[in-house]
Amino acid sequence: MDIRFSAEEQKFREECREWLLANVPSERRPLNAADAIAFDKEWQHRLFDAGWAGINWPTAYGGRGLSLVQQVIWLEEYAGAHAPWIGANFVGINHGGPTLILNATEEHKAYHLPRILKGEAIWCQGFSEPGAGSDLAAIRTHARIEGDELIVNGTKIWTSFAHVADWQELVVRTEAGSRRHQGLSWVICDMHAPGIEVRPIRKMSGQVEFAQVFYDDVRIPLANVVGGLGNGWKVAMSTLSFERGTGFIAEQVKLSQEIEELVASARASGAIRDDRIAGELAQMRAEVAALRAMTYRNISDVIRRGQPGPEASVIRLFSAELGQRLERMALLLAGDDILDFRYGDDTLVGEYLRGFAATIAGGTAQIQRDIIAERVLGLPKSR
Amino acid sequence: MDLSLDSQQEALVAATADWCRDNMPLEQARNRPDTLWSALQAMGWTAMTGPDVALDHATEALVFVELGRHLAPVSLMSGAVAARWTDQPGKVALALFGNAGVRVCDAEGATIALGICDGVIATFRLPPGLVASPALDPTTTLARLAQPSVRTPVDSPLPALHLQLLTAAFAAGCADAARDMASSYAALREQFERPIGWFQAIKHMCADMAVRCAVARAQISFAACALDADAPDAAFHVAAARQVAEQAAMENARANIQVHGGIGMTDEASPHLCLKRAHLLSFIAPARRSVLLGDPA
Repeated sequence: MDIRFSAEEQKFREECREWLLANVPSERRPLNAADAIAFDKEWQHRLFDAGWAGINWPTAYGGRGLSLVQQVIWLEEYAGAHAPWIGANFVGINHGGPTLILNATEEHKAYHLPRILKGEAIWCQGFSEPGAGSDLAAIRTHARIEGDELIVNGTKIWTSFAHVADWQELVVRTEAGSRRHQGLSWVICDMHAPGIEVRPIRKMSGQVEFAQVFYDDVRIPLANVVGGLGNGWKVAMSTLSFERGTGFIAEQVKLSQEIEELVASARASGAIRDDRIAGELAQMRAEVAALRAMTYRNISDVIRRGQPGPEASVIRLFSAELGQRLERMALLLAGDDILDFRYGDDTLVGEYLRGFAATIAGGTAQIQRDIIAERVLGLPKSR
Repeated sequence: MDLSLDSQQEALVAATADWCRDNMPLEQARNRPDTLWSALQAMGWTAMTGPDVALDHATEALVFVELGRHLAPVSLMSGAVAARWTDQPGKVALALFGNAGVRVCDAEGATIALGICDGVIATFRLPPGLVASPALDPTTTLARLAQPSVRTPVDSPLPALHLQLLTAAFAAGCADAARDMASSYAALREQFERPIGWFQAIKHMCADMAVRCAVARAQISFAACALDADAPDAAFHVAAARQVAEQAAMENARANIQVHGGIGMTDEASPHLCLKRAHLLSFIAPARRSVLLGDPA
């Protein structure tokens, strides 16, 4: 065991730091949706031109193909430099792209992957439905096959960036009468196709970041099914094996920046003299350190064994709830200034309101606890 | 950067767990044989940190988690610190310095005690004829005495960090024991015609126990590596490990009793042993808040 990085790795860290110092935009990511997308695309293109896009993608598809430790270093430096969140490119870079890399035909890869890396094509995800949230296998959106086309009908919800997306990774039921995980297919859906209607949903923070999508006889070429008809669940899950434990680094660095700011602000205001506040800040500072240790441990295990374990759910749950406690502490320290919040403000109140997503999106805290109890501790399945 | 166990560490952890299970089972923590100490000594658990073996902190901490999981005697910790930083062979009792005097754990057969006084490790000679009484934690005994007039401090902040790290490891082991006890009981005990671990109210308590253990374990390894690497922020990382491990031990011990229900409140069942151990550990080398908050020293 060793927490130190090699001289070569330190050198790589300096390269990352230098480039980021010279290139991270000084202006913040705009809040207005249209401006934000333009900003995201331009930033992604700059990353691509400088050779920093797709750091964990194989070089054959324009990625950087960095080692896991180099990825850790890049992501730490990226977050440490307050570089912008990749925003609308998130689904393509972290989800759609990796799924294509693992499952798609050469033709699809050659077309889509460079566009994702350059920030030219925005992707969104079509998994959740009004009746299929935590119970994702209850998907009802269906497609019938007519010749060489799928005809899709139904609806998806909580689709981030649907209103600006060019493509969607869409999971639909292609086998009539099939149940649960069977009979689903993972399809590349053109978001500009006729019959698609996107109704944006406003969050309680005022931002419009996700939407409900309706499909009315939407025609998709059968060739857009990735990984074979009826294999949708397997294809969707395969993406998880592309994630090597580096997904928590940005959040960890952000939390360590936040806790330092909170301690400094509590010192400045004198709030730190309140024993309960000082105690909770001390506890959270220790836990933020532990989150880094868990992340390193998880990545070390992947390097040694090739696969992340179910511990990823542990980190995810811990990180999400710790982040929410930090947001609540920030609110407590801010006092009655929070009452001046107006819809769409990008203040700590906005962070706090948006932060509720951390224990809901991508598997609720309750589902994570089920997974931990069943897969780590071997308790009986309740579902 | 590597925080995984290597194959040697895995083997040592497995061997420790096996030995503990056979010779020092948690269920018998109240009635440990008088021969336990000589058995521990014979197996080398008391000399791991001595000059001949000088195990690194990272590996040592892993072994202490296993020892702690079986509620091993707390004087193994004072002995390990003494072996690494002083020339004290043999059994060394653990001293808890308080305002009114000193409590000494496991004084039987020891001539020296070691503890943290004014932030640094100090040893002192135990007076003859000490009377030890039972303690809250039934695995240990307590002898009370006035502040010793002669103390020998160790002129380095490192031994105190060493004791803090080992206490964190014992606490993490205690938290592991409570987690395992609770989850095996939840898988076995049936109510409403199914294992109680089927109900989310119970399984989520168990999941939280597993999270606390993972948090503590990871930070303990990180802190141990920081000590091994002589890192400038080692004191903070050890304090953080001590803090999250104490919380894991205490909260898991309480949750374990709740998961066990009526039987969990009895003297006969084992859950209270973890709770009482957690309370004892909370007084050994606690994390200082100023260190956790990163106060300029």
